[in-house]
This record gives sequence, C-alpha cells and structure tokens, in this order.
Amino acid sequence: MKKKQIVAAILAAVMTLSLTACGGSKTAKSGSDNSGAAGADGTTTDEITLTYWHYEDETTIGLLAEAFMKKYPNITVECKQISDMSTDLSAAAAAGTFPDVFSGTDSDTALANEYWADITEYVEKDPDMGKMMPTIKEYGIGKFDTDRWWGLPTWYQPSAVFIDRNVIEKLNLEMPRTDWTWDEMIQLIKDATVDDRTGMKYYGLGYYNRLDSLYGIAACSTAERAIKGEFGFDGNDFDLSYWAIGEQQFSDLKLAGYVAPQQNTQAMEDWSGDWGTWFGATGHVAVFSEGFWSYQNLWATEGYQDTYGLDIVPYVTPNVVDEKEHNVIANMYIGGVSSSCEHPYEAYLLLKFMGIGTDGWNARMDIYEDNSITNASGVALQHSNMPVPMTLDEGVWARYKALFPSDEDHKKYWDDYFSSITRPVPYGWYSIAGYWNFCDQYFNKIGIHDLVDNGTAKSADYAEEATEQANYYHAEAMLSYFGPTGYDVLSDEEIARYEAVTSSFGQ
Amino acid sequence: MSKEKKLKKPKIKQGRLEAREARVGYLFVLPWIIGVLAFLIYPLGQSFYYMWYNIRITPLQTKFIWVGTGNFTQIWLENPEFPKQLVTYIWQTIVEVPVIVVFALIIAMMLNGKIKCKAFFRLIFFLPVIIVSGPVMNMLVSEGASSIPAMNTQAVVNAMDSFLPYSVATSIGELFSNMIMILWYSGVQILIFLSALQKVDPSLYEAAKMDGGSGWECFWKITLPTIKNFILLNAVYTVIFLSGNEQNELINMIESAMFSGTKEKGYGYASAMAWMYAVIVTLIVLLFFLLLGSKKDVYDRMVIKRRRALKKEERLVKRIERRGERNVRKLERARKSHKYKTYDGNGDY
Repeated sequence: MKKKQIVAAILAAVMTLSLTACGGSKTAKSGSDNSGAAGADGTTTDEITLTYWHYEDETTIGLLAEAFMKKYPNITVECKQISDMSTDLSAAAAAGTFPDVFSGTDSDTALANEYWADITEYVEKDPDMGKMMPTIKEYGIGKFDTDRWWGLPTWYQPSAVFIDRNVIEKLNLEMPRTDWTWDEMIQLIKDATVDDRTGMKYYGLGYYNRLDSLYGIAACSTAERAIKGEFGFDGNDFDLSYWAIGEQQFSDLKLAGYVAPQQNTQAMEDWSGDWGTWFGATGHVAVFSEGFWSYQNLWATEGYQDTYGLDIVPYVTPNVVDEKEHNVIANMYIGGVSSSCEHPYEAYLLLKFMGIGTDGWNARMDIYEDNSITNASGVALQHSNMPVPMTLDEGVWARYKALFPSDEDHKKYWDDYFSSITRPVPYGWYSIAGYWNFCDQYFNKIGIHDLVDNGTAKSADYAEEATEQANYYHAEAMLSYFGPTGYDVLSDEEIARYEAVTSSFGQ
Repeated sequence: MSKEKKLKKPKIKQGRLEAREARVGYLFVLPWIIGVLAFLIYPLGQSFYYMWYNIRITPLQTKFIWVGTGNFTQIWLENPEFPKQLVTYIWQTIVEVPVIVVFALIIAMMLNGKIKCKAFFRLIFFLPVIIVSGPVMNMLVSEGASSIPAMNTQAVVNAMDSFLPYSVATSIGELFSNMIMILWYSGVQILIFLSALQKVDPSLYEAAKMDGGSGWECFWKITLPTIKNFILLNAVYTVIFLSGNEQNELINMIESAMFSGTKEKGYGYASAMAWMYAVIVTLIVLLFFLLLGSKKDVYDRMVIKRRRALKKEERLVKRIERRGERNVRKLERARKSHKYKTYDGNGDY
C-alpha cells in the first residue's frame, strides 16, 4: 500500500508541476523599463536586451549583431532565424515572447495582427533616410499607402536578367546594349533559340521569375501610369491589363518553344539527358530571368562558370519605353519595430543597422570582404544570399562593387547594372496591403498561369475581373488593417473611398 | 416501521483502511482527472468559444471580434479545399478502417499460432508504432517509402472511376498507393487482437474439434463471436488514429489556419474547422458502432427472455395475492355489517 501511495503521489506531483510549467511560459518582456536615463544621442544608458528575428544567414546576422553591440555596449542583441513567419510570430505573440524587431516576407501577416509599431517619428527625423534609394521615400516602402511609417526595407535584391556571353558568341549574335528595351530582350530570346537538330537545342530563355512579374513594373512610361507595385498598382488601385500583356507574351514564348525546361521535369530529361539538370548549368541558354542570388550563390562560386562553359553578365530588367531611369522589381523584406517593444528608439536603430543604414552596411562589408568567414555550411558569406545596399553611400558602393568582376570585359556590364537598380519596387506581398489575400484566395486558386501557359485561356480575358478582385482585396485589407478595428489611422475620406470599393464589388 | 424506513439501506461507517484505500485510489486517478480537465475539457470549451470569433493575437493583446457563424460561412464559401478534403477524408476512412482491422486480425491470428520466433515477429510488427511517427513518418512518405512502386495505382483509379464516383475511386487508389502505410498503422491493433485471441478458452476449440468442426468453422463460430467487442474497439481506435495523425491533410489544414496571420484565419477560424471536423469524426465512429456494436447472441437473448417471463410470473402471483386479500377484506366488511352471512350449515341459504 505504501508503494502505491508513493507512486500515486509522484504521478500527481509530476502532473501538477508540468501544468505549472505550461502556465509559466509567459515570460517577462526583454529589456528594462523605458523610463531609464538617456545618453547624448537619445539612446538609453540602461542595460537592455533587444531580440531580432530575421530570414537572413544566421552567421551574417550574428556578426552584425556583434557589430551593433560594439557600437552600443549597453544593448544586448539576441537573434533568431525565422522558419515560418506566420507560425513563429503568432506563437510568439500568444506566448508573450514577441521579438522587439523582426524582418519578414509577408507584410499582410504583420499588418493584420498589428505586429508593427508606428515609427514615423524616428524615420522622418532620421538624416540617414536622405541617403537611401529614392523609391523608398518616394513610394513610401513601409508606409503601405498611409501617412505613417510601419516598417523599412531590411534586405534588397533586385530581379535581374543575365546573359550568357558564350552562347551569344556561339550563335553569332550581337550582345545587346545594356540599357535595352523590353522588345529588344524578347527579340534576343527568339534569335537565340536555335535547334539545328545536330546537338542539344539552344533556348533563348531560362526563367526563375516569370516575365509577367517583371513586365508589371516595366509596362509603361511613368507619364502613362505611375506604377509603384505589381499588377499595375499605382498606390490607389490595380490595373491588371498591364500584367495580362506580359503574361500572354511569356506564355506565347513558352508555347512556341523559346523557354528552356525546368529542373526535375521529363522535358528537362529529354533535352539534357538528366532529370535534375538546372538550365543555368547547361551552357545552352542565352537569357536568364533569375533572382540576383543565382549569380552570387552559384555562378560566382569558384570554378562554376568554367565547369559549365558559361560567361554570365547582368542586364537590367528592361522597360517597354526607352527610359534611361526606371523602376526595377525587387525582393525587399520589410522589417519593423514590434508594437510591444519597450525600447522603440533603440529597436529602430537596430532595425536600421540590420537593413538600410550606412553604418550597418559598412559592418556588412567587413563581413562580406573576408572570405575566410563562412557560415554553418562552410560557404563564404558573400555567397550566401548577400543583399544589395539600399544606401547610396559612395563608400559602401565602392566596396560592394569590388566584390564583383572588375576585369575590363565584365566591369562595364556590372557598372551599368548597378547604376540601373537604384529605383527598386518590391513585389506585392512585401508592400501592398491585401496582396497576399488576393493571391491566396483568388489569383492562385483559379490557376491563371497554368491556363494561359497551356494555351487554354487568354490572360486578357481575366484582366478585368482580376483587377476588380485585386482592388477589392486591397480596399478590404486597408480598412481592416488601418481602419477603426486596426491601427485606426485612416481619415474619413480614405475610409469612405475604400468602403466604396468594397461595397461596389460584385454588384 | 414506515415504508421509507424500510427502503433505506443501513448506514455502515467506513473503516480507516477503506478510507485510506479510497484516498489512494483518488490520488492515482488525479493525474488523469487533471489531464482531462486541463488538456481536454478546458481546450474543448475554449475552442467552442473561439469559433464564434475572429481572433487577432497582437503583441499587446488578444482581440476577439464577434463574427457569429462568420467563420463557418467563410470556410464553406471561401475555402473550397476544406469541404473537398472532408469528403476525401470520409471516404478514405470508411475504406481504410476495415482494411486495417482485417489486416491486423489476420496478422494477430498468424502470430498467435504455433510459429518459431513468435516474439521476434511481434516486435517487428509493433516496431513501426514506435519508430514511424512524427517527422520520421513524414520523411518516409515524402521519399515514397509508403507505396509499392511496382503497383500501378493509376490503373486502379481508372478502373474504379468508370463505375464509382471520383472521390471514392481516388480513395481506393490512395489505399493501394499507401499499402505499406496500412501495415505501419496496424501495430497497436495487432497487439489488441493478440490479447483478445489469447483469452479465448481453448476448451471451446477442443470441443468443436471433437464435434468435427473445421478451422474455418471454429473461426466463424468461436473466434469471431468471442473477439467481437475487440473488433469495435480496434475500429474506433483506427478511426481516431487516422483522424489525428500527421499525415491527415485536414489536421495540417487546421494547424496552418491556426497559425495563419491573414485577417480571416487564426484561432477562431481554425476552431470552427476543428469542430466541424470533430462532428464528422464522431459520426464515423457512430457508424462503426452501429455496424459492429455488440448485439447479444442467442443464448443471452434466451436468458433475458426467461428473466422477463419470471418477472412477469412474479408480478401475476403478487397481483392474485393482492386481489385475494382485497376480497377477504371486502367479505369481512360485509359480514360485519350483516349484509352477508356465511353459510352455517343449517340448510337455510
């Protein structure tokens, strides 16, 4: 009987303890109280801890955090890599362990849950903001079409078109001018598709980014429509007729056999003899619509281009109109200070240091220039998704450009490319409220890409309905995020305007 | 003595030993009670409450916005994937449960026979329960380890598709393509059947054999009726297992809705999904209960009938007794009031 009693008591104690442990998971917020003393630069002199959650290389961010802590010795920075934004952040919010600063890929999640605090006060007083790429302030990337700043870009990589010079040479074609137009690019894709039946076919285009994604930004002159986002978004509403032209053009190229097969497909096996081949490693594709990372992470690694007989140079995403300076579609993570942060100013400084700030970029350059520093996979950090600076600081850019080929043959391509990417426009899910919902609940669901790619539908047939849907989702999101049930920063006129869109939808 | 007092049971004071035993008993079940209250009843109530709200967990507070049945309409009108997966799940469960249970029974009977290395084979069949769970299972499935490559499942689907609805045909196709998984899912059921088979009285088989019963007849007349309750138990266990494991698309869907940051989804939306799903699972369990639920056999029915007849007889006897007593009292009263005289034998009526 005594044994039984002891066993039962232990069981009950273990259960009670485990429950207590569960209940105690709501830990105190990091950092000390904000009422502490402030230094000359306005930062606290108290010992505080800030948490930073991100999507970047862990080693890079770890080293950047160290550099920040060196600059602000009283601030401790704890970093964590996000594996899934929604899951990680909602779990942290529920558990009371929300990070002070985070950088994310899906702005709808952050806005819908009021994760970000209003940082207008800091951004507008910040002299560093004058040094940033012009579209950041001009388009308010991080303002989400309100008059407040909710976030700032933290990581930027433009889309890029690359050309394999060896293929152009083999096919006796001329290299196009670096400030080419959209039509010139399409013509090159067609000219460089050669199937002489004696060997492996040459394809004009290999793609990661569909051309319609690029076309949405490059579709017209700014005088015709001031496009500042995907799907012809001008800050008020969408116009998918621009996207429809690019979509149809791309699908027509695919159907006509100008586009190389994708990896892990039967078509790839039929073409290259290997199911797993990547078109970028065949030496038989002329133009690549790729992410910028493909160059740094693969083509720029030692011996890669020699192994596959490639000579890759970058080209700016062309515009339909022959404009010297035009926007370029880009991946731009948006970061913000969390609404529960107790030290918002210090958190803002951290956000800036990790993202757009010149100080932070100088610290990054120290890291990227040293090839002996590698991440957990043994890769030098400049080959691990290295972003592009968003500051226009000449010192930073001089150091950055030095990381790329500087020989006479290649330098001019890189110089022209870098000078053409100073007007980034982020993809919709980073910068347009409701964009994610629109894609998730309408655009991706009806499978427009597949329908048009198969030749079973024309993109123009969807343009009108898709525009109406996109405007509805955007208006609904604006009301939900920034209206009275959200941040409550919209004026009565703005509310009335968005309500007019939602109420007229479907009528 | 009054009637009430007659019915009241005599009060016996609990001895110290008995009280201590009771306390120990409660102490033993306490972890279970706490577990059920904290991890079942409380979350159940909480999710029932949540499903009527749109819940936004901001870093500063949790916002509850009343939407009534809004989550349900949102699911049915805006999320075509959910009803589609629900239909697939229903068919898959109805098809897979009998297959798993029958497979488990066959294996259990084989393992219960006289074979060499019995313990080793039992271990082999139970091993997937321990090893193949969680991320290991996901990895194996993604590597295609759950299917038999030589089996042309598309041909099965095509053949079925010609005379069955598409969702049923694909469910059967799924079954064939995940044949190995059926084997993995049978570990616990095999153990339950083994313990049931070992409880069957061997003398029954002996008697049947002496009467010339074949193995086939013994299975249908002795084994199956004896382990009938365990078949239901295993069927219910399998339904619950299939409904809650990590390979279940609906579970993944609910989980992703729960952590989704979009304005429509979140805890409220996921709770509504979970409750609808729970109702469907309960209905499937009920279906198997109706199909396999214990029906009394002929001997039990005869005993019950006899008991009822005896009770009826007792009631009749009591009624006759009561009537006799009543008549006696009536006669007595009549006699006393001289309305009626009993015959005294003088010949004068």
